[in-house]
Amino acid sequence: MKWLSVGRSFLRNLFRRKQVEQALDDEISSYTELLVAENMKRGMTEPEARRAARLEMIGPSQVKEQVRSVRAGAWLAALWQDLRYGFRVLRKNPVFTLAAVLTFAIGIGANTTIFSMVNGLLLRPVPVPHSDRLTYLVQRRDHWRNSFSYPDFEDIRRDARTAFSDLAAVRIFQIEGLNVGGQTHTIWTEYVTTNFFSMLEIRPILGSLIAPSDKIAGSDPVMVLSHSYWKNHLGGDPNIVGRKATLNGRSVTIIGVAPEGFRGVTPIFETQGYLPIGVFSYMQVQHGKDPLTERTGDGVLVFGRLADSVSLEKAQSALAVIARRLAEQNPASAKDLSLRTYFLGSGLLSPDGSNPLRVVTSLFLVLSGLLLLLASANVANLLLVRALARNREMAVRSALGAVRFRLIRQVLAETMLLGIMGCIGGAILGIAGSRVISGLPLQSDLPIVFDFSFDWRVFAYAFSAALLLALASGLVPALRAARVNLNDALREGSRGYSSRRSRFRAVLVTAQVGGSLMLLIVAGLFVRSMQNVEHTDLGFDPNQVVNFGLDPHTAGYDEVRGREFDRELLERVRAVPGVEFASVALTVPMGPEILGSELKVEGYQEPPGQRKPAAEMNAVSSGYFSTMRIPIVRGRDFLDSDTESSQRVALVNELMAQTYWAGKDPIGHTFVRTDKPDYSWKIIGVVKNSHSQLLEPVSPAFYVPMAQDYRARQTLQVRTSSPTSAATKTIMEVVHSFEPAMAIFDVRTMTQSLNTPDGFMLFRLAAAITSSLGLLGLVLAIIGVYGVVSYSAAQRTHEIGIRIALGARHSQVLRTVLRQGVLIVLFGSAFGILTAIAVARLVGSFLVGVSAIDPATYIGVSLLLAAIALLASFIPARRATRVDPMLALRYE
Amino acid sequence: MPSNQVELLQGTLDMLILNTLALAPLHGLGISQRIEQVTRGTFQVKPGSLFPALHRMEERGWLKSSWGESDNNRRAKYYELTRAGRRQLEAETRRWKQISVAVGRALEANS
Repeated sequence: MKWLSVGRSFLRNLFRRKQVEQALDDEISSYTELLVAENMKRGMTEPEARRAARLEMIGPSQVKEQVRSVRAGAWLAALWQDLRYGFRVLRKNPVFTLAAVLTFAIGIGANTTIFSMVNGLLLRPVPVPHSDRLTYLVQRRDHWRNSFSYPDFEDIRRDARTAFSDLAAVRIFQIEGLNVGGQTHTIWTEYVTTNFFSMLEIRPILGSLIAPSDKIAGSDPVMVLSHSYWKNHLGGDPNIVGRKATLNGRSVTIIGVAPEGFRGVTPIFETQGYLPIGVFSYMQVQHGKDPLTERTGDGVLVFGRLADSVSLEKAQSALAVIARRLAEQNPASAKDLSLRTYFLGSGLLSPDGSNPLRVVTSLFLVLSGLLLLLASANVANLLLVRALARNREMAVRSALGAVRFRLIRQVLAETMLLGIMGCIGGAILGIAGSRVISGLPLQSDLPIVFDFSFDWRVFAYAFSAALLLALASGLVPALRAARVNLNDALREGSRGYSSRRSRFRAVLVTAQVGGSLMLLIVAGLFVRSMQNVEHTDLGFDPNQVVNFGLDPHTAGYDEVRGREFDRELLERVRAVPGVEFASVALTVPMGPEILGSELKVEGYQEPPGQRKPAAEMNAVSSGYFSTMRIPIVRGRDFLDSDTESSQRVALVNELMAQTYWAGKDPIGHTFVRTDKPDYSWKIIGVVKNSHSQLLEPVSPAFYVPMAQDYRARQTLQVRTSSPTSAATKTIMEVVHSFEPAMAIFDVRTMTQSLNTPDGFMLFRLAAAITSSLGLLGLVLAIIGVYGVVSYSAAQRTHEIGIRIALGARHSQVLRTVLRQGVLIVLFGSAFGILTAIAVARLVGSFLVGVSAIDPATYIGVSLLLAAIALLASFIPARRATRVDPMLALRYE
Repeated sequence: MPSNQVELLQGTLDMLILNTLALAPLHGLGISQRIEQVTRGTFQVKPGSLFPALHRMEERGWLKSSWGESDNNRRAKYYELTRAGRRQLEAETRRWKQISVAVGRALEANS
């Protein structure tokens, strides 16, 4: 009843303000009239009566103001008033407003960009319904890993019914060639259990998804495509459902398209096609044995949906029981088996449930948070300066009856308005920034998708950043603005007061200089490690080499025809003008995989406790070492006469020679590969060491002729003297001229493949992000220094005028004004170096070839910052020396 | 301010106004004069506290107002109790009596 009545009044006060106000006016004046009449009845004259009435009222407008302040919704009216007034004030000071909004926008934009990255990598869950109930499983035999053998999965699934409403498995994806309507495209496929889609609870956008009722083995299997693959490679063909196609030369039927945005359960790698796991061995017959029946095999990822009201802990204990049972049943393969499960989250599947990128991304977040603080210090500074200019305004308002809280609220409302505008600007900058990061060319062999697009989390973050920024920068100025001393303020000028304010501002700017120095030092460290990584001697020459991924198997070739294809391919490519060397290799440096092999070396006994002899392995055609410019130190290169039927031969790198034939000439010696124990491999030469992975030390490695260890998936490598882009196009045309159906994938220059996530890219990304933050911080700090020094110089115009009039020299005046700037830079730098040391310790493990307290970086960056900051204070100081004493003295 | 005047306790003004209006509807000046009269000048209600209190109580639905003619033929806004207002008055009166009995006992105990 009461609230109903209050609610009605609230609406009336809000929407019928005029009537309400009119009624109040009438009531007050009628009261006055009655009072006057009363007084006259007591014998006063009319003027006397009116005067007495006014005295009793104190003042009609104060009475009205008091009535207004108790009305329902008074706070809303006041807020509206504050905002409108604030808006007018901001519009009247466009320069101030623009400066503050821009500062806000820079701070929020940088933060939003980085947060969008963190969101994309760490926070955004896999886009399926109830994704918070999805988990993945890991197992430990000798170490924790996320891949299982298929028989183990079936056992776990059978036994885990109580804890999980369902478990599904995915055979780790691989690249294949899909031929629809005569054209072959490469496609990354996953082989999934038939309950995969029903467990994820997703529905097709077109046709149907693989379901338990589908045929799970045999020929002509069903296939589901991802939305983006269907759109980008098949033009969004609406008649795709039911289409026959061939995958690696075997016919499949496309039955549906997965929903938009679904990129599989590991969204950072985009899965483009799905087939039932039951047809895996049929599709992959060339691999010989059926990998799904081998208990020692792996490559199967296991995902589960927790049963209703089952917690993760309950599921862990259920898995512990299952692990014991499996260990008992398979004592040979699963003796010390442990099982655990973790929430799927954003689908990174790390074996210990943690997030491998957390440290780097949190570091970026902390650094960008610091930038936000620098921005808020700048806005706070601007507001403080303006608070001085508004001292009188505040005093007048206070004299007219505004309480202190009202004044604070007014200043805060203005800051909030700035914050809102800055937030909009920042969101725009942030969207642009995250597009830039998302669009960084990854040049990766894997279909990695950096999806840093904006969702509600990013907007919520931007908004709270803006709110925080506005509060942080507005609170102190607001409190100070409201603390007016009427006596002082209404009299002109109040020097004692303002000098205290500028001291606070100087402290702010000192902290700013320190913070931005810290950002710059961290950026410097990352830039130096990027340079170190880029200048690593790789042992081969990546320039002017183009790689082409080929897999004759995907075009339906068997091994015999595949070998013929290779011979013809190299012949034709070597004939292309500009091609210096061409060769094929099983793996390429910085590629997605490195193969290795255990060895038996005659006469070599590993020291006790050390690993059995092993080395990296690559199968290459003749000409490989010329293409890569890896020098052959001794012996000979492979020849076309090293064939399937001749003696098995190998070249070893210097490290392998030293490791297993120390002090001897390895040429002529033999070794046996445990993966191919039928042959012994005779060493015919030694080559220089080269890196197969960027940041790893060189390993012992050997090379064998492709002809003696044929694999279908291979990379054609071409060293050309003509521009690589032109050569690339010509060579693709050459390949398609004699085999139109051949899919060519991962075409890129060797220098491009160095710029991958496990290559230069992470370093470049880190260097780019920290440098941008550092530069933005520097800009903010410079504005801060300039602002404080020029403001205090302007404040001291009078004093400087007197000094000059009394005969002070320019240099003396310059020194007086510069002194503040120098102090700020000195204290700020000390503060910055100390914080940088603390932060750099955290990032030490991400630095390559540079220590976390690298003196050169620290000193160099500090000197740079000091020089720029001193310049920023020199300009206003110099202006101060040009003061005309006459003008300055007359000024006040 | 004469020394026999006291500051109104928080909430007391509301009760005094409700009590005054329980007899008959009155306009603002009438209410303040009436309170002064009844309390023998102990409480003088100035417009600065009277009007906010009247408006607040009206918004809460305890009072309702209408324009009418005063004794000497001037237009004035009259306030009267609603049913909710009467209930409020009863509740306040009960509470007040409890307090005054309690305070009285406490003071007697010490004397």
